[in-house]
Amino acid sequence: MERLRRYSRRAFLVSSAAVAGGVAFGVYAVNSPPDNPLLADRGEGEAVFNPWVRIDGSGITLITPHIDLGQGAIHAQAVLIAEEMDLEIGQFATSFGQPSKAYWNTAMGAEGVPFMATDQSFAAESARAVLGGLTKLIGLQGTGGSTTMPDSFDKLRKAGATARETLKLAAAERTGIPREELKTQAGAVLLPDGSRIAYTDLAADAAMLDPVQDVPLRDPSAWRLIGKPMKRIDIVAKSTGTLAYGIDLEKPGMVHATVRTNPRQGGGLQGFDDSEARAVPGVRDVLEITGGIAVLADNTWAAFKGAGAVKYDWGPAPYPAEQANHWQALEASFTDDLLDSTWRDDGDVEAAMEGAEVVTAEYRSPYVAHAPLEPLNAIVLVEDDLVEIWAGHQLPRQLQILVGAITGHDPEQVIFHNQFTGGSFGHRLEFEFIKQTAEIANQVRGTPVKMTYTREEDFAHDFPRHIAIGRGRGFVADGKVQAMDLSVAAPSVLASQMQRAGIPVPGPDIQIAAGAWNNPYHLPNYRMRSYRAAELAPVSSWRSVGSVGAGFAFDSFLDELIHAAGADPMEERIRLMEHDVSRKVLEAVAEMSDWGSPLPPGKGRGVAFVESFAAPVAEVVEVSATERGIRIDKVWVACDVGTIVDPVNFENLVQGGVVFGLGHAINAQITYADGMAEQTNYHAHEGMRLYQCPEIFVRGLENGEQVRGIGEPPVPPAAPALANAIFAATGQRIREMPFDKHIDFI
Amino acid sequence: MQATFTVNGTERQIDVPEDMPLLWVLRDELKLTGTKYGCGIAQCGACTVHLDGLAVRACQVAARELDGAEITTIEGLGTPAAPHPVQAAWIEHEVAQCGYCQSGQIMQAASFLDLNPAPTDEEIDAAMSGNLCRCGTYSRIRAAVHTAATKMGS
Amino acid sequence: MRYRAVNRSLTKAAALAGMLAAGAVLAKGAEVLIEPPAAGSVSVEEGRAAFDRMYDVVTHPRCANCHVGAENVPMWYGGAEGPAQPHGMNINAGESRIGAETLPCATCHRVNETLDNDPHAPPQAGLEWRLAPVEFEWFGKSPAEICAQLSDPDRNGGRDALGLAEHLVEDAGHRGFVLWGWQPGGGREPAPYSLQQHVNDVLAWGAAGQPCPDGTTGQDASQ
Repeated sequence: MERLRRYSRRAFLVSSAAVAGGVAFGVYAVNSPPDNPLLADRGEGEAVFNPWVRIDGSGITLITPHIDLGQGAIHAQAVLIAEEMDLEIGQFATSFGQPSKAYWNTAMGAEGVPFMATDQSFAAESARAVLGGLTKLIGLQGTGGSTTMPDSFDKLRKAGATARETLKLAAAERTGIPREELKTQAGAVLLPDGSRIAYTDLAADAAMLDPVQDVPLRDPSAWRLIGKPMKRIDIVAKSTGTLAYGIDLEKPGMVHATVRTNPRQGGGLQGFDDSEARAVPGVRDVLEITGGIAVLADNTWAAFKGAGAVKYDWGPAPYPAEQANHWQALEASFTDDLLDSTWRDDGDVEAAMEGAEVVTAEYRSPYVAHAPLEPLNAIVLVEDDLVEIWAGHQLPRQLQILVGAITGHDPEQVIFHNQFTGGSFGHRLEFEFIKQTAEIANQVRGTPVKMTYTREEDFAHDFPRHIAIGRGRGFVADGKVQAMDLSVAAPSVLASQMQRAGIPVPGPDIQIAAGAWNNPYHLPNYRMRSYRAAELAPVSSWRSVGSVGAGFAFDSFLDELIHAAGADPMEERIRLMEHDVSRKVLEAVAEMSDWGSPLPPGKGRGVAFVESFAAPVAEVVEVSATERGIRIDKVWVACDVGTIVDPVNFENLVQGGVVFGLGHAINAQITYADGMAEQTNYHAHEGMRLYQCPEIFVRGLENGEQVRGIGEPPVPPAAPALANAIFAATGQRIREMPFDKHIDFI
Repeated sequence: MQATFTVNGTERQIDVPEDMPLLWVLRDELKLTGTKYGCGIAQCGACTVHLDGLAVRACQVAARELDGAEITTIEGLGTPAAPHPVQAAWIEHEVAQCGYCQSGQIMQAASFLDLNPAPTDEEIDAAMSGNLCRCGTYSRIRAAVHTAATKMGS
Repeated sequence: MRYRAVNRSLTKAAALAGMLAAGAVLAKGAEVLIEPPAAGSVSVEEGRAAFDRMYDVVTHPRCANCHVGAENVPMWYGGAEGPAQPHGMNINAGESRIGAETLPCATCHRVNETLDNDPHAPPQAGLEWRLAPVEFEWFGKSPAEICAQLSDPDRNGGRDALGLAEHLVEDAGHRGFVLWGWQPGGGREPAPYSLQQHVNDVLAWGAAGQPCPDGTTGQDASQ
């Protein structure tokens, strides 16, 4: 563990040095393959070709280390292996496997580099390579940042190809037929005479061989699965109530529990009276944990009732108690002292605007809760030489370290069984709920503890998306946008979040500027600066992170400037776009939505483009202004992810991202009063419901050279596209989310 | 209190506090975990089951209501081998993302289609908007309800 | 339709029916009495003051939110709880006023004689949840409109003031919506005054000749 910590410190020191260019250490560590975790418990006659494939006489298991949060990660990872391995859907089981450095995320570092995704210069690629190496050094296994496909696309196909060729080698040695004359199909090696040897039959032989390495990947024209419509492998279980999520698990002898910690997060518990709670039928015990209490009971409901019956004396919030003070902190952050970074400084905005009539506007993006539908939960069993955890989490290796620190175990003694989750949207990057369960389990060693949050506890400790204010100044002339100067102030979500993860993050926070600095437009004069407000309420990554708030400010302000210039919102965006792949996305959405066609009075269309997680996405929203409010009629989305692995799942995720972006833009916010989130359940933080859902038309383009994820990128353009559409329909410009503060929706 | 009632066609007996919600009777006492806890206050619909043939939010049904009742949960509606037409439509349209809300969505849709076998979009919007889907699968839910209606009508 | 025709509380209510003349026992140690004032003992002025209080009650969110018009859309919040807004989730109770055409109220609003439940959970009472008949629309109505309505047999169930008072007490005997209005649970704000005061006001208003705020009597308005 000490070694790991040392690496993480050095690693992140280098991450800031990487910008200056070059790194001189760790070449060996970066280039050597991490140990294969499947070797540790390999059975006799079981072949483990690499960290992703294990076969024994009874079956094939594909390891899918990226957790499934609903985005279909298990399916997509398995398909990549199965494609090269010549397996059919249904011929294999999947497992999340155990956390391992071998599963370091090759793509997670790339998002942090201060180079635009469209920049493929030597400097940019070098920085990505360095950061990629660093995530390997610390063994950062993680799911997030829409990196599952970028991380897995080559790696897992290679894993499948290696397994296939090694199985062929085993067959070659058994039959004496040269490997080159063997083929594979549907889980078996095919001999020239048409007979088949099942992979499972070859496992014991293959286990004795060195895996065949450096197998070339197949040409896309040969793909059987990738890009073709498929049934997600979890779809039947998820449609019949037979899939067990973490919250559905039961371990022999387990006790139920819930926790209640200070809703003024981090404020501590000054005292409590649990006498009434102990009288609740089914309540077994009340224990103290960090910042609050835990109620142990015979069932979940008794635990909930017990926690509700405790009288608490909570300490004050270690951040401003009232929401207005949070906004004031941001308003006061546009100062030279708090300048975090200047991300773009093209042309000369000051010279361009000198003496000119300047357009100004301010945009606000509130705290918003992740609120996945499955309340946070975990089962933890602590024994003297072992800790076992059953829960869904996106950063399993950090979790092992943090839990081990609580229970006094080495990370290697912490066995983590990752689980299917009922959503996350970034919520399961946080550790509190599992740490709390570990604290309870450590007090009742030998008994598995199943801890379930109430929905209210989940809202109170959501670690919501950070608030942001964007301020724009701009200048238009000759029917064109000439200059744009955009500043965004926000607290650092990375600092808040990584502090809890135990990972230091020096340098500017790219998420304050994400969605604003990186859009590949060529404006004659463009400056984009980020200002780092002091830490306020604890915040965390929310599906697409900074790109929602900063992207809303960027695209809304661009739209205002385009209107001020008297130009067409679509044509001017296309004219200004200098990146071919992104321009094609805009052109596609213009064609899909029949952009120029006339609309009856009271209807309006708005377009927005935001690039996030290196995926360019353009959306057109069409609304009707009715007597009772705005109705969102239709949305068209075009996006480019390089290669679409599963077109059905892709469409579903894009539609879901649009719903997520629109729904929260319309009606969701977390506000603080007396240090506590005022929104305690879905009645006050709804998101979109079915009756509000527009028709959503999706087109995926594949012009980009690299594979990108699609979990997050559809979210950021939704809010500005809607605001722009409302302006087109009504003349009312909405610059603050949630929009229902300013206009009604039906 | 004691109660005897049927769940998915099987008679069950419980001895629980009379205000214990059916949701927790199902999940913790009877180990039927297909019915999900999402909010506890009927804001999300994830715990929807059928009580005497009609959709109800199990978090709002107290144990005192249960004696003599007939409950159907997602496990009793259909199975992976023999899915109910609504489940078959959900599979066909690949509605689920995380899937956590879908037990409730499916139970709501099945009850609704029982009452209204050929609904319009507007009627679907009226009947299905109490079921929250945080992943945003609503487009596919609408399509799947129509498909299920067709399957059940033929 | 496969609704249960009779809910269990109705049987209990029938047993209480004999007590209605004297009042209803609502909970241990609490009852509401019907004690009509003697004819001529209440002035028109006092009658108007009684009506003003009745108006405060019937337009309070606990009462008015389900006394809505022909759009059949119940309301949420209002008054001290913030601006009234249509019931979330796109709820429409339909012409049946119980959601039979769309989403039955009983999906969430279960029969519960304890009346109490969690904050922000669907309110529950001893009767099957429903909107009041559309003729009893109170939401957003002026005092004169409601006074005329309460005085019009076509729009008040054919009741005089005593009949209205008996109706209130009967509903309360079922632990129904009237009683719920003053015991709404879940941290909700109860209707003003008290149920007994409201019954007394209805009776006093009747004894004064059902005077309305615009100077007419309700009886005039109904003719």
